[in-house]
Amino acid sequence: MADKGKADVERVGGAVRLRQEHQKVVRDCESRIQHWKKVSGDYEALSDRLQTLPDQLSYDIMVPFGPLAFMPGKLVHTNEVTVLLGDNWFAKCSAKQAQKIVDHRMKYVKNELDDLSKTMKNFETRVGFAKDLETISASKGDYVDIREEVGNSDAAVAKGKQRIAHKPNSKPKLDVVWDLKEEDEENEEEGQSRKDVMTEEELWARLDELEKLEELQDEQDRLSDNADMNGEDTSSSSSEEEKEAEAAPPVNGLSLKPGWSSVPHCKAPLSMDGKKEQDDEEEEDNCLPTIFFSHTVELKKVRINTGKNTMLKFSERKEQKEHSKRKKKNGHNNGHSHHELHKITTPADIYRLFVDVKNGEPIPRKSILKSRSRENSVCSDTSESSAADFDERRMVCRSFSHDEATHSDTSDGITEEDSPTAVPLQLPSRFEAFSGTVVEKDPMPTAVPHLTIAPPALPTILERKQEEVAPDVSPPQQAPKRVSKFKAARLQQK
Amino acid sequence: MAEAIQKKLKAELEKYTQMQKDVSKSMSARQKLETQLTENNIVKEELDLLNSSNTVYKLIGPVLVKQDLDEAKATVAKRLEYINGEIQRYESLLKEMEKKSEQHREVLTSLQQEFQKAQGLTAGKV
Repeated sequence: MADKGKADVERVGGAVRLRQEHQKVVRDCESRIQHWKKVSGDYEALSDRLQTLPDQLSYDIMVPFGPLAFMPGKLVHTNEVTVLLGDNWFAKCSAKQAQKIVDHRMKYVKNELDDLSKTMKNFETRVGFAKDLETISASKGDYVDIREEVGNSDAAVAKGKQRIAHKPNSKPKLDVVWDLKEEDEENEEEGQSRKDVMTEEELWARLDELEKLEELQDEQDRLSDNADMNGEDTSSSSSEEEKEAEAAPPVNGLSLKPGWSSVPHCKAPLSMDGKKEQDDEEEEDNCLPTIFFSHTVELKKVRINTGKNTMLKFSERKEQKEHSKRKKKNGHNNGHSHHELHKITTPADIYRLFVDVKNGEPIPRKSILKSRSRENSVCSDTSESSAADFDERRMVCRSFSHDEATHSDTSDGITEEDSPTAVPLQLPSRFEAFSGTVVEKDPMPTAVPHLTIAPPALPTILERKQEEVAPDVSPPQQAPKRVSKFKAARLQQK
Repeated sequence: MAEAIQKKLKAELEKYTQMQKDVSKSMSARQKLETQLTENNIVKEELDLLNSSNTVYKLIGPVLVKQDLDEAKATVAKRLEYINGEIQRYESLLKEMEKKSEQHREVLTSLQQEFQKAQGLTAGKV
């Protein structure tokens, strides 16, 4: 009670002070208004004088001589007036021009007066309110404080906001939209708001994926100044295919350095910018097996359909850039090779595609996800630090795997679907991407364990590298059998 | 212990008051500039209204010096720019000073707390 009394006293004191401050402002405004009113009166008198002045050529007046004396004199040149324009500037004008200037200034003064009167009114009302506040805090009898608790809406909004906090990458725009949506829903129907929240969670997940994808894309765009022709083609085709494949917000991209990608959905085209598309297509044909690709090059974007109908984007612009030189060396077969080679139906095709051995270059392809393979070389391996990059990518993959819905991205392992065919298609030593197992519709949980599996698989691939040079020729024959719609669309586009 | 803190407190307080004075000085200078700005704006408008028939004078000391209308316009424009630049400079200066004074304020409050604690300790001891 004592504390409450103290608080009341404080409040009363505060209210009193508030009122006093407001009154001060009001008084200030009043004084200023007085000043401006005087000025306005002066100008009016001046205006009158100017109008009458040119009536006569000269006037007989008593001229002030110093502060105490006057002298009779004449006022001549009655039409010539030297006007002070301000800041020590003068202008000689006729009486009429001076009149115009005076009118101009009168307008300005009037504006100031209006503003001041408005502020004064505002503060007068505030003073009144402060008085009321005083009486309220002083005596709590007459007035009642009305409060309305808004519980659910706060919680719902907080939920959204919490989500935003958890996902700092989320776009503010989208967040705002969602928040508004939440609020609207809550306002309308609390019952529905629950369901909406649930769906919104999914949407949040998708939004996050989309954001990541876009970020990756931005990075890629920044990194790749000159995208290869193939890369562009493949990316465009892949993007188109993606759009065709999924109307819903499918594009969720995670730029995976190591190039891990898993495609859980058969339907969702696993589109990869550049040379990786072939692998994606193969995956699609195999009902979205997960293929692990290791990249030693820079970030790549792979579009992978995850279980939640999201797409992971995987692009290898950088690799494509680097590969461009090689492509030129090996002849410009990329476009054609892509068409031919993009008929990947088995993992073996991937290895075929991603091995540069055919061109006489013994450099094995580091990762399947690299830019499109040519006839001879699938993926030109430009990066040399495969191990290091692989670790990086793996970390990236793992991080992605822990994200909401983009688990497919991080799947390092490959489903067992085409293990028999995949075996011969082992990537060259430095490529860790393809461990030989393809995972179909591999959700997050299955993908995660693959991550650990991946590293041991690398050395095996290395060994087989030499052996696979020969078998690489065989896979292309199998390719024509099956054409994923993803590839088909791309073919059509091309 | 308490005395040392007291001394520190005093020193900090002086610094803070000094900063406040500087801030207020800059503020008043800026206000002056603002009035000059409005005035020059008015002059500019008036000069635009005038035509070359009427002469323009500039008051330099006790002398009214005749000026060319165009020259006058140019001069006023230049002055306006100068004033704007000065205002910007003062604004940035003010911001800096505000930040510094904030820091000082924080230091002051912390010192005050220490002092109070020390006082409390000594009072408790006593």
